[in-house]
Amino acid sequence: MNEELDSQLSAMFDDELPHEECELLARRLSRDEVLKARWGRYAVVGAVIRAERGVRLNAPLAGRVNAAIRAEPALDREAVPVRAAAGGMRWWQPVAGGALAAGVAAASVLWLRAQVPLTTVPLTAQRGAPPVAAPVLAAAVGDGSYITPRAPRAQPLVVPSTQLANYVVAHSMVSSPVARRNLLSAFISSDAAGAADAVKTQAQGNAK
Amino acid sequence: MSADASDLSLVRRVQRGDKGAFDALVLKYQHKLVKLVMRYVRNPAEAEDIAQEAFIKAYRALPQFRGDSAFYTWLYRIAINTAKNAVVSRDRSPIEYDLDRSSDESYDMQGRMKDSETPEGLVLTDEIRSTVNAAIDALPEDLRTAIVLRELEGLSYEEIAAAMDCPVGTVRSRIFRAREAIDKRLREVFEGGLGRAEELG
Repeated sequence: MNEELDSQLSAMFDDELPHEECELLARRLSRDEVLKARWGRYAVVGAVIRAERGVRLNAPLAGRVNAAIRAEPALDREAVPVRAAAGGMRWWQPVAGGALAAGVAAASVLWLRAQVPLTTVPLTAQRGAPPVAAPVLAAAVGDGSYITPRAPRAQPLVVPSTQLANYVVAHSMVSSPVARRNLLSAFISSDAAGAADAVKTQAQGNAK
Repeated sequence: MSADASDLSLVRRVQRGDKGAFDALVLKYQHKLVKLVMRYVRNPAEAEDIAQEAFIKAYRALPQFRGDSAFYTWLYRIAINTAKNAVVSRDRSPIEYDLDRSSDESYDMQGRMKDSETPEGLVLTDEIRSTVNAAIDALPEDLRTAIVLRELEGLSYEEIAAAMDCPVGTVRSRIFRAREAIDKRLREVFEGGLGRAEELG
């Protein structure tokens, strides 16, 4: 028997072996009968040192348990949650699920309404330049009804455009007319990346 | 390193369907569990029956064990409940219990005699005890101190290292060498003893 392996076994018995090594050794221990017998004798040594009175060191308890466990079906942990789910849902689970869904819907409505003034102010400051998400927002503001934003990709475009529009308005007094025109052109073409580049160019120009 | 990592590794294997890993858990805790149950019942054979039942209950309940507590804590709780139930059940129906015992006396006696209440069985237990004690006495002082601090006092390797003023690696090595020395002598007794037990059976 390998001395290093025995040393690991002794440390594992004391819960003093690193977790990764435990995983490997547990695998071997479960299959190697010689190693298992040694492991069992380590337990006997401990019982004798602790002078566990009444304990029969040669009792066939482990063998009896082993025989009983062999007759049992093997455990399958993955099956447990399925059985638990099939076993019956608690009464409050559907109610809690419905409440959660309603809460999320309400939060969405409030959030969308809160977004509307922020997006319309800078956009109305640029009449004639169609905003990126104009159809959705116009419908939402126009008739007061709620429209679920179907295209999540459109949302990121609104935010940077709005921020850039605010930037243009705030810096219109100090920016050059040419740079401002370039920036507005970028908005019109809905090219957020181009607009960002234009802002960068403008900032560099102002710095000069 | 995490406390209870070795038990948890074995438990996870059992939960994945490896019954062999459960044997290791039984071998490790059988003596402690019987000792625990002996607080409730005096008869060692009855304590073993209860411990056996507790192990089987634990095996069946293992899919629900998530590792929130140490495995042995969880196992001990099952054993205590099993022992208490056994005592209550026996006290509620003492006549039935006695009748069962007397009606099945021949079977019961055979089973008990096979186990280890026979003189030979008791001698073997005593032989194991005296062998281990003799082996411990023969150990060098540093090895004996390390194994006793571990097994009797339940100190961790780190605590033993502090007590013995040596590195943790040295403690691990000393405990291992102590176990090796004891195991070498114990193996001879076990092999001889088990052979005798089979002859008796």
